[in-house]
Amino acid sequence: MSSTPASSGPAAMPKTKGAGLSDRWFSVLLIAPAMLITLIFAILPLAQALDVTFRMGDLSRGKIGDYVGLENYRVVFADSAFWQAGWVTLKFTVVAVGLQMILGVGIAFLLHGATFAKGLTRSLLILPLATSAAVTGLFWRYLYDTQFGVMNWVLGSLGLPEPNWLGDYTIALWSVVLFDIWQWTPFVALIALAGLQALPKEPFEAAELDGASRWRILTTLTFPLLKPVLFLVLVLRTIDCVRLYDAVAVLTRGGPGTATETMTFYLYRTGLKLFRMDYASTMAVFFLYVMLVAAVFALTPLLKQFTDRAKEA
Amino acid sequence: MKKSLASASVLALLSSGGAFAQECTDPVQITWSTIAGFYTDAMAGFVKSFEDENCAKVTVVNIDNSQLYNKQVIEMVGQTGAYDVVTLETAEKAEFAENGFILPMTEFFKDKQAIIDDVSPTLRAMTVEYKGDVWGLPYYTYSSGMFVRQDLLDDPTEQAAFKAKYGYDLAAPTTWEQHRDIAEFFTRKAGDMLKGQPLDKDFFGVGLMAGPFPEIQDELSAPLWGMGSDWLNAEGKVPVDDVEKVLNDYLALMKFAPRAALTVTYDGVMNQMKDCQIAMTHGFFLDQWPNAVKTEENCAGAKMAAIEAPMKKAYVGGFLLAVSSSSANPDMAMKFVAHIGGPVIQQQFAEMGGASTLTSVLTNPMFATPEKRTTNGQYATLNQVFSSMAGFSSNLFKTPFGAKIYNTMQIPLQSAASGQITARQAAEQLAADVEKICGGPCPIAN
Repeated sequence: MSSTPASSGPAAMPKTKGAGLSDRWFSVLLIAPAMLITLIFAILPLAQALDVTFRMGDLSRGKIGDYVGLENYRVVFADSAFWQAGWVTLKFTVVAVGLQMILGVGIAFLLHGATFAKGLTRSLLILPLATSAAVTGLFWRYLYDTQFGVMNWVLGSLGLPEPNWLGDYTIALWSVVLFDIWQWTPFVALIALAGLQALPKEPFEAAELDGASRWRILTTLTFPLLKPVLFLVLVLRTIDCVRLYDAVAVLTRGGPGTATETMTFYLYRTGLKLFRMDYASTMAVFFLYVMLVAAVFALTPLLKQFTDRAKEA
Repeated sequence: MKKSLASASVLALLSSGGAFAQECTDPVQITWSTIAGFYTDAMAGFVKSFEDENCAKVTVVNIDNSQLYNKQVIEMVGQTGAYDVVTLETAEKAEFAENGFILPMTEFFKDKQAIIDDVSPTLRAMTVEYKGDVWGLPYYTYSSGMFVRQDLLDDPTEQAAFKAKYGYDLAAPTTWEQHRDIAEFFTRKAGDMLKGQPLDKDFFGVGLMAGPFPEIQDELSAPLWGMGSDWLNAEGKVPVDDVEKVLNDYLALMKFAPRAALTVTYDGVMNQMKDCQIAMTHGFFLDQWPNAVKTEENCAGAKMAAIEAPMKKAYVGGFLLAVSSSSANPDMAMKFVAHIGGPVIQQQFAEMGGASTLTSVLTNPMFATPEKRTTNGQYATLNQVFSSMAGFSSNLFKTPFGAKIYNTMQIPLQSAASGQITARQAAEQLAADVEKICGGPCPIAN
């Protein structure tokens, strides 16, 4: 009996691992490098940032100063620019993510059903994602240029009004949204397409045999089966939009005035232009807290679904 | 004769450099953080001559202008010693000096007083001196005047029409009211006549830098200082009424500027000028003359002129070279500052079209020739600006919070320019922002 796999397996394992490590310690050893990196580059800076939120932290005066209790939180929460930046971020996120999801899923369906140039289109969709927003943003700044930009040249040629895309405070934010949609809709489309292609065929064949309408198939089969993928994309895009910085920095620098100043951009300005690390850290900690709470609510159903599937498997 | 002298000098320089190169086995390392672009590219050759003469190795770190201040402050606070020589904007000098980020160079320049005296007193007061000490040398000045299309001002048809409309002669503006009138007068639609010719596109009276860059405050400094006010009064507070007044005047000018005013910086205005779209600038960086004068190539019959801003006040600034207090080789770093900001290199810099900071260079007759007009034609105006502004200094440059204020003020000002808030609201917001930055009234050094 001692030679059966059930009994010899665990007994042989420590030998292959060496030094007589138990499974538990071996798994600890495996994740230790990742945990160490997380500790050094995420947890410790976070702890320090948290510490700074309770201290005077005008970096340009040379050092982090004395403890001031909750004063920084009071100042930040009373700062109208902070809430204004939060509002801009919220508007941007809701509109950009909403449109990206609608357009992305629409494109995915079109591509899924396409019979011609599918591969080429898929390759072209990757292009906006392949370059950083800092670079493509620069192109878009020229496209948007009121005097020399292609956008207004086309609109002017058609006899249409030529907006001041980045200079008019009423539309500047939507110009940034348009850029973000151009860059990230393909991401949604590609992921949704992958999800569509991975769907099992049998339920759809059965539904067709039963004479179910396209709409019925879509609402009772396609979307429910695609939900985990779409939800994941939604969460990823939301996180990315909420921490939007690069597109704003390149296209508008938060302007005109503060019309496009997102939370991250305001945080950057406070921390690295005014060097008020105390206020910037307080904003960052608050921001992180909000994101964590939102992420827990958003990800719990998804994680539960994954766990259930793993259990079933 | 000149040629042979120059050849002899070059040979002497090369031979001495070669001799030194043989002896120089362990060069002293210094690092210079500076602005990426023409300013630095032009200096690359001068760095080499310094290395050869002093057994030094200079590493030039090019940083985008928008990030230079941040990067330097971080290195100074951390006392990393990453930079031995730093490059500062005028408004940053007091902060760096007050916080001990840079070393005073008063002692170093004691036996080189001639160099300090050669920097125009106006520029010196603004960029070099703080609390009685000398903090370095400026190597480039972007002090402001104005660019105008002189051909438009000289055109008899336009002169007659202007006189008929405004009741006085069309000429370079000496007041901001005249500036406004001229801007209004020359703002025309495509198809209208300009100098007796129909316009093929809209033409504007003035180009403005109201984009999200720290330049709208440079423009507004001109009328604000011109009316005898300042960004900070003697109590260290923003004079809200004065700021509101100049901002309202500026908003009135926006009607006569291309719509792109809300997105552009100085190069955008220069592009408008070269694209035959505008008649003149607001207060504008005179170092851009080589750029502005290209309008004459692009626009038929155009004749450019660099003049003083109305009321003879405009932003005075220069890139100050200073030595970091965490430098491991401050002596060599100071020598480097004196080398780059000194008369020999400044002369060579000017020959390449750079905006020198030294009076001896700016007044050198060799730069006043017609051949040098396209590269150095603004020097005479620059001297006039310095002369007119003699004895003037802004409180913005005397407060250790100057850099932060300077880096913040474009936000409320641009908000007003874009119509997001009123001039009054912008002035009040600026006052509140400044008070927050300084933690009350800003301290002003005497």
